[in-house]
Amino acid sequence: MTTAISCANVSKRYGDVRAVDGVSFEVHEGEIFGMIGPNGAGKTTLIECVEGLRERDGGTVEVFGMDPERHTRAIRERTGIQLQSAALPQRIRVGEALDLFAAFYRRSTDWRSLLARLGLEGKARSYVERLSGGERQRVFIALALVNAPELVFLDELTTGLDPQARLAIWDVIRDIRDGGTTVFLTTHFMEEAERLCDRVALVDHGRIVALDTVPGLIASLGAENSMSFTLDGAVPAERLKAVDGVTKVEQVDGRVVIHGNGARFPHGALSVLAEDGLWAQDLRTRQPTLEDVFLALTGRELREGEAG
Amino acid sequence: MTAVGKLVAVQARRTLREPAAAFFMVAFAPLFALLMGLVFGNEPQAEFGDRGYIDANLASFPAIVLAIVSFVLVPIDIVSQRESGALRRFRATPLRPVGYIAADVLVRFAISLLSIAAMFALGMLVFGARPAGDLASVLLAAVLGVLAFLAVGYALAAVMPSQGTAQAFGNVLVYPLIILSGAAVPTAVLPEGVRQVAQFSPLTQLVELLRGLWAGQPWAENWVPLVVLLGVLGAATAVAARFFRWE
Repeated sequence: MTTAISCANVSKRYGDVRAVDGVSFEVHEGEIFGMIGPNGAGKTTLIECVEGLRERDGGTVEVFGMDPERHTRAIRERTGIQLQSAALPQRIRVGEALDLFAAFYRRSTDWRSLLARLGLEGKARSYVERLSGGERQRVFIALALVNAPELVFLDELTTGLDPQARLAIWDVIRDIRDGGTTVFLTTHFMEEAERLCDRVALVDHGRIVALDTVPGLIASLGAENSMSFTLDGAVPAERLKAVDGVTKVEQVDGRVVIHGNGARFPHGALSVLAEDGLWAQDLRTRQPTLEDVFLALTGRELREGEAG
Repeated sequence: MTAVGKLVAVQARRTLREPAAAFFMVAFAPLFALLMGLVFGNEPQAEFGDRGYIDANLASFPAIVLAIVSFVLVPIDIVSQRESGALRRFRATPLRPVGYIAADVLVRFAISLLSIAAMFALGMLVFGARPAGDLASVLLAAVLGVLAFLAVGYALAAVMPSQGTAQAFGNVLVYPLIILSGAAVPTAVLPEGVRQVAQFSPLTQLVELLRGLWAGQPWAENWVPLVVLLGVLGAATAVAARFFRWE
């Protein structure tokens, strides 16, 4: 596996605040690598140090084996950047912007088909500032992809997008990854990390607190799955406990809650109920999520910072 | 087309799409000359040394446009692009900073010069104004004026902390400078003390140079304004280069 990005002990302070505090990781070529953490965790500072837009105070960063602070333009040619808060000059049309940015690179892609893939067909003649927030966000994603980059940086990719547009953008990003482009993104949406990223780094207070695949991170928690339901009739607790994988059966607020390992025990539990002619009502299942991993590792919730 | 060439085209189009900027950069100078000509005519008058109003004053009008462009329009446009993050977006590409600046300067230079040329053409064709001196020298001085005052605009953009400050600073400064320069009101009507202070304004020096060359004086007689404008160009370029920020 070839390395696209390699960071060792990267740090960046603002006054007394350690925005990035000794971070080391590698991003492999061809993967979607995500950094997830609450707002203010240091994700943007870190991604901008890797992009070469911000000077780090210490540590080493290599992109394609080059230091982004010294070989800035060589790296720029091969990368695409979507900034968290971006703008274009006033009174510039979407098509003009893409055509212009394409001219900045030696290699460029057909920006019209790029617009179509991002659901912006028919917007080429619109002024960027007159687009909706979601459309504008997609224009900036298009600008990041206009040079058919080998590596693309996406800082808060789907902020401001409605759920439907978000799903569409995820498809585009997966397509790009499947085409061989490495993707390095930041997000504070747990679902985005879970559904899009091949590997995820959990970031908090300028440090990486865990780094693995999403299933790997969840498995590392050792947390159990659970199912719960209401039942008209006596609960066959002993027989439910005997189901393979079940660790605990309890009754909470009138609901039966069954904890267990693996994905098979709910099926076994439902079979036990069926044998007794009982039907589980208002059935819910719950698997541990990245949110639980983050909470377990940091004592904080991912969404805490979201209001700010 | 090269990156800088495309950038020139886009910057020109977006500048001309901005109604206020387009008016001041392109149409203001010719319209001002037209208005003044219609109001005052160009009949010979004793107070202008037996020359007409337009003959006596046309050469100084470019200073008014350049003051507005350099003290108000350029700083506000650049600072607002810096505040919005537009400049930063360009930085995230392989485009060299000097390429961006070159395109930006070229567009504003060309538009300003075109406007000044149109103004001279209008004054000469409509009102029959004629330079006593060499028209090419006058235009050359106008070129120097455009360069020096565009540099002032970029220097102001570099040091202004926010769009609001740039706006306030520019608007407070620009009108006194125009009045002191003698481009709008003859310096003869100003009190002696004020007239002496006015000599320290580079805009006044530009007016003196343009009027002098238009009136047929040789460059040698105008070495003071020439040195002042070259000095302003050098100093403002140095300030802009030293303090220009992308974010």
